[in-house]
Amino acid sequence: MHLVVLLKRVLDPEIPQSAFSLDPERKEPTVLRHPFVLSVFDGNALELALRLRDARADARVTALTFGPRAAEDVLRKALALQVDEAVHLLGDENGLPAGRKARVLAAAIRRLPPADLVLCGRQAADWEAGQLGGMLAEALGCPCLPFVSGLSLAPGGFEAVQQVESGQAVYRLPGPAVLTVTNDPGNVLRPARIKDVMAARGRELTTIPLEELLPGTESDEARVETLDLRLPAPRRRAEILDGGGAAGTAALLARRLRELGAV
Amino acid sequence: MTNIVTAVWAWGGRVSAAARDLVQSAGTLAAETGGELGVLALGTGAQIAADTLRAAGADVVLTCEEEALDTAPGEAGLAALVAGCEVLRPSLVLLPADSLGRDWAPRLGYRLGAGLVTEVTDWSLEEGRPVFQRLVFGGKAIATMTVAGGPAIATVRPGAGRRDEPPRAGRGEARDLGLAIEAWPSWPRLLRRQTEERQGPGLEEARAIVSGGRGLGGPEGFEPLGELALTLGGAVGASRAAVDEGWAPPTWQIGQTGKTVAPDLYVAVGISGASQHLVGCSRAKTIVAINRDPEAPIFDYARLGVVGDWREVVPALTVALKEMLAD
Ligand SMILES: Cc1cc2nc3c(=O)[nH]c(=O)nc-3n(C[C@H](O)[C@H](O)[C@H](O)COP(=O)(O)OP(=O)(O)OC[C@H]3O[C@@H](n4cnc5c(N)ncnc54)[C@H](O)[C@@H]3O)c2cc1C
Repeated sequence: MHLVVLLKRVLDPEIPQSAFSLDPERKEPTVLRHPFVLSVFDGNALELALRLRDARADARVTALTFGPRAAEDVLRKALALQVDEAVHLLGDENGLPAGRKARVLAAAIRRLPPADLVLCGRQAADWEAGQLGGMLAEALGCPCLPFVSGLSLAPGGFEAVQQVESGQAVYRLPGPAVLTVTNDPGNVLRPARIKDVMAARGRELTTIPLEELLPGTESDEARVETLDLRLPAPRRRAEILDGGGAAGTAALLARRLRELGAV
Repeated sequence: MTNIVTAVWAWGGRVSAAARDLVQSAGTLAAETGGELGVLALGTGAQIAADTLRAAGADVVLTCEEEALDTAPGEAGLAALVAGCEVLRPSLVLLPADSLGRDWAPRLGYRLGAGLVTEVTDWSLEEGRPVFQRLVFGGKAIATMTVAGGPAIATVRPGAGRRDEPPRAGRGEARDLGLAIEAWPSWPRLLRRQTEERQGPGLEEARAIVSGGRGLGGPEGFEPLGELALTLGGAVGASRAAVDEGWAPPTWQIGQTGKTVAPDLYVAVGISGASQHLVGCSRAKTIVAINRDPEAPIFDYARLGVVGDWREVVPALTVALKEMLAD
């Protein structure tokens, strides 16, 4: 059994608004000084893959990232969590239209042993588009099940729990398929052991230069253009209520809520 | 002239308020350009929804009630959408940003060679070109986007592009899509749904919401929040941190990747105010923050704030509101 997990390195999504600024020329955030991390939902996807492997001795997990040299960080992180293989599709993914990106990643996945499942986060924690999983399924010619929070082995394939508005939906699927993963208490990424982090530094990565995959992945698709990127307008600071002690403050708050017509 | 297509889940003839809003705003806009709105109504009983959709502004309603939609809504719905777009040839497809719309959009985009813009918070047509607003970087920035050189697809968040004017009734032709959908063995097959029972109103329609975050320190904290919500006749929500801790079910999550809510009153308890949380409650009329850290970013966003320990403030507020409401 072979599971491929897509990992993306992104600007730390938890940096507060006050520390966040934009480069209007490039229509991108200013990244000086800011840390980069593994995109959160990709971490949830990796955890699901690792749990399946824990449950089945012959399962192998390949971590795959597409990005510049620095994106290697997320592969090292995955290696520290004992993935079997780490593959770096090396190149600038920012310039590619979404459909082309999916085609290129599909071409990279086809170079690996056949995958039973491809897992990725429901959306990347930078541009938050949530497009790649579905498009990749199309490029691979397989079904897609989005918003999966739990995954287990089942007769003839897998059972997946999908989060929907009203609760959960449980699906049975044979694979191959692309699953996009959403957060749940059951799929928080496990921490790595220090000694494994050290060992991962020296591990060998498989590198595929983007140029090798570009021919044959051309796509005749409409272009999405970013016309403008701006910061939201600042809001006024809250009116802080203090009635001297909890009871007094609560009474004051209740009164203000009534004045505002909120209750 | 812009021909628009939307798809709505209409199982048993029921159409969500968000989907109806979308049909209404899309119908008005299509008409302004001299174009038409085609609506694909999917699910067993979809034909019952045809009148509702016409009244909301659909010019053509194509229904599909294939059984495969029940067991494989993602895959079968996609097949219906592809067939519907072949018939209607839209230059713009608008799908609700719910679990099905988000599922279909990228795959439909790939098949049509369309440009896709997701999670749109506002949209318009400028010189025939669709212009979309969306939040990026967890709500820390706003992007304006357009699509050129081919059809456009967008998933639209609840309330986006809403028009206050009454709906324009559509021409209202309704017919069956005429597509037989065979479920493939490779398709994920729905075994069962687990619907969560909730006391009181759901988050989407609640007039008051009390949300708890990591600052609650444990699942017990949601009990006093529940009492406050009950007093207000409202519902309880949660931040992603509280969900990830396992203190609240994922269906309670509010925010960018949870629910988008628009109550009259939103009380955020032990929530720091990350942008990803705030985008889910930004349409609340009044936001109250209860947090013990005076520097918490939530105080830069809320209308009213109390700096203090929720363990004292929340029960006291429940008592004060009970007294006030009893008057
Ligand atoms: C791609 C992406 C999507 C996301 N989607 C969402 C989403 O949909 N919804 C969401 O909520 N988050 C989302 N997040 C996570 C978000 O970035 C924050 O991590 C999260 O909202 C933090 O939750 P919190 O405020 O409960 O916890 P924290 O940030 O840890 O804040 C806890 C707060 O509690 C206060 N506190 C502690 N003890 C007390 C006490 N006794 N009394 C009063 N106050 C106290 C603290 O001062 C602190 O301000 C997303 C993140 C990413 C990267």
